[in-house]
Amino acid sequence: MGNIFGRKRRPTRVTEQDRAILQLKQQRDKLKQYQKKITLQLEKERLLAKQLLKDGKKEKALLLLKKKRYQDQLLDKTENQISNLERMVQDIEFAQIEMKVIEGLKVGNECLKKMHEVMSIEEVERIMDETQDAIEYQRQIDDMLAGSLTQEDEDAVLAELEAITQGEEVELPEVPTESLPEVPEEEPEPEPEPERERAKKQPEREMLAA
Amino acid sequence: MSFEWPWQYNFPPFFTLQPNVDTRQKQLAAWCSLTLSYCRHRKLYTLDVMEAQESPVFNNKKIERKLSVEAIQVVFEELRKKGNLEWMDKNKTRCLIMWRRPEEWGKLIYQWVSRNGMVNSVFTLYELSNGDDTEGEEFHGLEEWMLLRSLQALQTEGKAEIITMDDGKGVKFF
Repeated sequence: MGNIFGRKRRPTRVTEQDRAILQLKQQRDKLKQYQKKITLQLEKERLLAKQLLKDGKKEKALLLLKKKRYQDQLLDKTENQISNLERMVQDIEFAQIEMKVIEGLKVGNECLKKMHEVMSIEEVERIMDETQDAIEYQRQIDDMLAGSLTQEDEDAVLAELEAITQGEEVELPEVPTESLPEVPEEEPEPEPEPERERAKKQPEREMLAA
Repeated sequence: MSFEWPWQYNFPPFFTLQPNVDTRQKQLAAWCSLTLSYCRHRKLYTLDVMEAQESPVFNNKKIERKLSVEAIQVVFEELRKKGNLEWMDKNKTRCLIMWRRPEEWGKLIYQWVSRNGMVNSVFTLYELSNGDDTEGEEFHGLEEWMLLRSLQALQTEGKAEIITMDDGKGVKFF
């Protein structure tokens, strides 16, 4: 399956830049071959010059050395050109990488944009509001289920407490004289508050009913 | 590193094709493996039947035995059947010898490419087989036809793409 798709995708995988790089590299290869040729020639000529000197043909040897010198310069130039070409190749390769980076950033940007479209500010506000409402609603339900008192009830309870404390002394039970039995440490302390409240609420309800 | 000859190499009857079918089969198999390992050792990619007769593989000067041209043809034909050899001409005088299959070469090249972080790069064929970077790699000095085949093998796997330009070919790895 990969093959079928691979074949279709193929023409797009080699870009213009790749071709340019290849061309540069081919040029470089040619220069390298040329370099090799000259280096070999130089070596040969050096030996030949030595031979000529031995044979006493100084003139010829000198001529040969001149030629060698010239080729040496050529070699230097070739070296420079090769490094030029290689730098060019590297520049292109790096530019390609940069292009890919930008492409990646573009895709990321687009993706972000799309996601932002889905999450508009108004939408978020609406959702947050709704959530707040839902929390409120839930709280009301909790209150109802727990049977806790509304503000009104609370006020009424306070008022009643006032009335009672002003009217009469609250009768307190006698303090027990015997020592308390040992209490296991973990037992939570009893909360007297809600009980008292409930007790106070009872008469109020009765009063309301009457 | 010198080449290690198999024991048969110093066994004179080895240089004459055996009439018995079973023996002959074994003999041919031994010849095939000897030929391949010798070519691998010497890094030979093409063989000439006439020249082959003079090469040490088919010509053991020590025991003064050599394989006849006909027998060499038989061995080569056997190698062709196994997919290790291809004739370059109709007269069957020259052949390409593949002691490593193109897929294996391709794998080696691709390993080198990915090891050096050069996936997604473009190479010239010259660079791969003769460049300074590949010096010391097994595929250094690989003949172009073989290199091309291994790259084609990689291409069918989708790991490379051969680029053809006016003057020469290149390849991009993926």
